[in-house]
Amino acid sequence: MNAGQNERSADLEVLKPAPRNDESVSEPVGPHALVVQRLGKTYGEGAGAKEVLRGIDLRVDPGQLVCIVGPSGAGKTTLLRCLAGLQTSSTGTISIGGRLITEPPAEIGLVFQDYGRSLLPWMRAIDNVAFPLQGKGVPAGERPRMAQVAMQSVGLGDAAHRYPWQLSGGMQQRVAIARAIAYQAEILLMDEPFASVDAQTRFDLEDLLLGLRRKLGISVVVVTHDIDEAVYLSDSVTVLSGTPASVVETIDVVLDAPREQIATKADPRFAEYRSRIMRRIRRPELAAVSKERP
Amino acid sequence: MSRQVRHAAQALWLPVVFFGWWWWTSAGSTSIYFPPLAKIVAVTWADLAGGPLPGFIAFSLGNLAAGLALAIVVGISLGMVLGWYPLALRLLDPVLQFFRAMPKVALVPLFIGALGIGALPKIYSIALGCVWPILLNTIDGVRGVEPGQLEMARAYRIPLGLRLRRVILPAAAPQIVAGVRVALAIGVVVMVVSEIYGAQQGVGYYVLNASRAFDVAQTWGGTLLIGLIGYVLSTSFVIAERWFLRWHYLRARVLGLNA
Repeated sequence: MNAGQNERSADLEVLKPAPRNDESVSEPVGPHALVVQRLGKTYGEGAGAKEVLRGIDLRVDPGQLVCIVGPSGAGKTTLLRCLAGLQTSSTGTISIGGRLITEPPAEIGLVFQDYGRSLLPWMRAIDNVAFPLQGKGVPAGERPRMAQVAMQSVGLGDAAHRYPWQLSGGMQQRVAIARAIAYQAEILLMDEPFASVDAQTRFDLEDLLLGLRRKLGISVVVVTHDIDEAVYLSDSVTVLSGTPASVVETIDVVLDAPREQIATKADPRFAEYRSRIMRRIRRPELAAVSKERP
Repeated sequence: MSRQVRHAAQALWLPVVFFGWWWWTSAGSTSIYFPPLAKIVAVTWADLAGGPLPGFIAFSLGNLAAGLALAIVVGISLGMVLGWYPLALRLLDPVLQFFRAMPKVALVPLFIGALGIGALPKIYSIALGCVWPILLNTIDGVRGVEPGQLEMARAYRIPLGLRLRRVILPAAAPQIVAGVRVALAIGVVVMVVSEIYGAQQGVGYYVLNASRAFDVAQTWGGTLLIGLIGYVLSTSFVIAERWFLRWHYLRARVLGLNA
């Protein structure tokens, strides 16, 4: 932490999601809750149909950080893609501030697992960050400043004019986060965001994310298979399990704030949450295995 | 500096040796078909300095530039549509493959017949020859865009026009440029052939006219000149390509890929 840190967080004000004035919605103006009700997803039809998600209920209140955990192949990514409006659900509804989601909503900033594929290699880092602003119709004069503030907020102020492929994996993921921040997303959706970086970088990025959430007051949904990460980050953990996947438990995580990598993980409550989630994930799987045996 | 000198030496030693050998062995040649290189150079130089050649070269290159530009515009726009809509591609693919397989120079007499002997039929012939590699490479390039990049564009609600211009077009650019490079080589051939039928100027006409008049030195000179033009064009193109796609080549080097 250096002296410049305070100035930066003051700058960050310009990136706080602006209150939206949507006349079609009767909800009060301001940050919106993301609400998922009885969501189901089935791929294909008839005999070959594969049901992936069943009866998912989820609520993300403004400013909340929710992790969705579950074993690999449990449909976590499918759920996230539905939340992002990239896929349509088969049953149930997703809404933001009471408005049903049928296409990618303006309130959501998506951070992909594979940063190498979602950053455009022909644009410099700062242009990648500014690009969605152009799509949004932000005047050309304001885009560079907003992008630069976002780059500074993820600690990459000096790397703005390098290309993504000149940056390390962790730095590329920071660019992807800066892009979502600059977009003034109210809700950050992240799909296994720190799965492909080394452990130390992962811890740094986790703390960066918690800091941004605190400063900007945004909500965050993180899909992860890493239970430690889920407990460390979350206000609330949604555990998915089974085939098709359903919510087996939603656990409110109560730990001292702000979280700190060593102290938080040494807290006995951390270990309790951790084993509770692990048991919830494992049990349906064991049940499934014993069912297959004659 | 020394590296540039070394590279230049590596590129130039063979032409120097070859033309030196030619110059030396052909000196004093009395064969009608193989005049001394010194004479070929002298004749060509005279036509370049005070003769018709500068005008001819300008005419030919003007046609090539116009034809190639037309092919680039049509090839890229049509290619983006066909690459984006699989149905359109399925409907048109047999026709595309047919025209691609047809030798383009075979169309030159038809064009000249239909459009007369001015510059226009030559420009159309060049465009028709050049459009196929550009079109097919653009289709491939658009179909090969990284799905993650398109997904990102969707998630961030990038409007279609902007998506085409700043995501799909740059993503397909390396393949499109490779298509243009092939098209340029075809264009030089069609340019020369188009001036052999019903032309009164151009470098192709210069060679044909010299050969009709049994001026062998002039024929040789014109042929070498066309070779030189083709060489200069393709070398300049490669340099321009390296600059235009510098992100692509630099990235390939950083990531250890084959560009």
